[in-house]
Amino acid sequence: MRRGIRLYFMAMKNSFASRIAYRTDFIFSAVMIFISELIIPFITVLIYKTGASFPGWSVEEVLLLQGIFLLSRGMANLLFFGLVWNTLNRVREGTYDILLIKPASTLFMSVATNFEPDSIGIVVCGLLVSIYAFTMLSLPGIMEILMFILLFVLSMIMLFAFAAFMAGSVFKWVGNSRIYEIFDSIMSFGNFPRSIFTRGFQTIISYVVPVAAVGFLPASALLGRNPEGILTTGIVCLLFLFGSLSFWKLMLRQYTSAGG
Amino acid sequence: MIIKINALRKTYVTHERGSSFIDSLKSLIKRKIIQVEALKGISFNVEEGEMLGLLGPNGAGKSTILKILTGVLYPTSGEVEVMGYVPWIKRKQYVAGIGAVFGQKSQLIWDIPPLDSFEMNRVIYDIPARLYKERLWGMVELLEVGEYVKKPTRQLSLGERMKCEFIMAMLHDPEIVFLDEPTIGLDVIAKERIREFIMNMNRKGITFVLTTHDLDDVELLAKRVIVINNGEIVYDNRMDALRKFFGNRKLVTLVTQKPLPDLNGIPGVYVKDMITPHNAELELNTDLLELNRFIKSINDEYIISDLTMRPPQIDSIVKELYITTNKSYTNKEV
Repeated sequence: MRRGIRLYFMAMKNSFASRIAYRTDFIFSAVMIFISELIIPFITVLIYKTGASFPGWSVEEVLLLQGIFLLSRGMANLLFFGLVWNTLNRVREGTYDILLIKPASTLFMSVATNFEPDSIGIVVCGLLVSIYAFTMLSLPGIMEILMFILLFVLSMIMLFAFAAFMAGSVFKWVGNSRIYEIFDSIMSFGNFPRSIFTRGFQTIISYVVPVAAVGFLPASALLGRNPEGILTTGIVCLLFLFGSLSFWKLMLRQYTSAGG
Repeated sequence: MIIKINALRKTYVTHERGSSFIDSLKSLIKRKIIQVEALKGISFNVEEGEMLGLLGPNGAGKSTILKILTGVLYPTSGEVEVMGYVPWIKRKQYVAGIGAVFGQKSQLIWDIPPLDSFEMNRVIYDIPARLYKERLWGMVELLEVGEYVKKPTRQLSLGERMKCEFIMAMLHDPEIVFLDEPTIGLDVIAKERIREFIMNMNRKGITFVLTTHDLDDVELLAKRVIVINNGEIVYDNRMDALRKFFGNRKLVTLVTQKPLPDLNGIPGVYVKDMITPHNAELELNTDLLELNRFIKSINDEYIISDLTMRPPQIDSIVKELYITTNKSYTNKEV
């Protein structure tokens, strides 16, 4: 465990050093990500300015949801979502061999060797939007904060499971870079309150593909709302994690190591 | 035995399609599935401390063997045991004791100095700090890369980078090291330094399995060579026996005063190049025609004014082995 933590921090340091070797590109990239991620909160404010709204949600509540959603995605991108690109590129080039000859979990190595510093732009954006929303909302109590932390961890688990599913699939369907776009489209539903969708769709994003666990549930906890189905969504997230890890293991056997 | 391989098979499934636009369109709907037999049931063992060379043309199956031995690929069938482990079972414990250098796949992180990659390996292999420093600077000195290990990898020449790849593969003091074309693209000096390093490590008891296209690597490093073609072993014996594999041969360059006739009709003589009517390059099989008899008969009839002789080049022998692949010559006594 201690070796794993040391390795993760060492890999993180190296990824950061690699990334800032191209300083200008890194700064531009982080700034561009920051600006592009601000678009949805900005549109939300514009919608509310016209008098329209999401039923049962004030603008500051929706902004908080979107801020938390960005924070979850930013943290996931920063800490472990590099798994998808790392696996995709290494499988296509045949350099996944290098990870397989190391005495460490290949899944862990795939995560650790691709820390993505650029995603700091999404984290900063999420923090700023959340803080801005809180300037117009009352501060949460200790119970709400504890519940938020628990649900935020759950959202991280869900995102990790998604990443492992996507990364696992590229062992078989080599070079399938569009998979991230499919994921992004599914995830975009998490930008909005669950209650605005039809009952059937709410069930899908809560219990089938639990996108609601990212953003909606943690934000609801901070707002003191107690949305139904937290426990079930939690179980689904854990099942998702278990399923994704098994899937990864199964797909790893499909690796054919391109090139000589 | 440090490596035991028995009846190892590997079959890949791949797809075939033509190169035309219509073929590309057709392949969107249906692709022809082809089974490629990369390894057709090969068996061999390796002794501890041995330096084994695996030779073979492109696509022969050399790299597939190395990938199976390093735990990267699962075989279709057969038995493999390395240091008492089956490589694809208990992979983590197994790979902790092996090292690998892939000439075309770098273990170094491209944008940062090799020293940072080495440090990462220290954590991965859990090498005690004192041992790490001792081994690292010992190898840095041996390979003369002191001034390069602090430069970003992308700024290093291929030779400097390969030397650092070797350090990366050896830091954890592996019992066995797999080398996949380790000198590819290197200049003569870099090759020499790397070969010296390998020999040095081999003298310390480390087992090496080496695949290469560079026959000098095999000649200078390996005592035993296995030649693979079409997924089968076509030769497995000592390196010095390879020269005698197709009989005792000499390459003869002959200059005569009288013009030479076509010598191809003489049993044991093969004319490689008729440079001028007075100057020919021949290959002589001394099992079929004794050298003194050949020289005497040529001198009597055409008067030799100059004659040079040398052993056959190893590449021509290997080339011949590649061509004659239908027959297996495993462990043939020579």
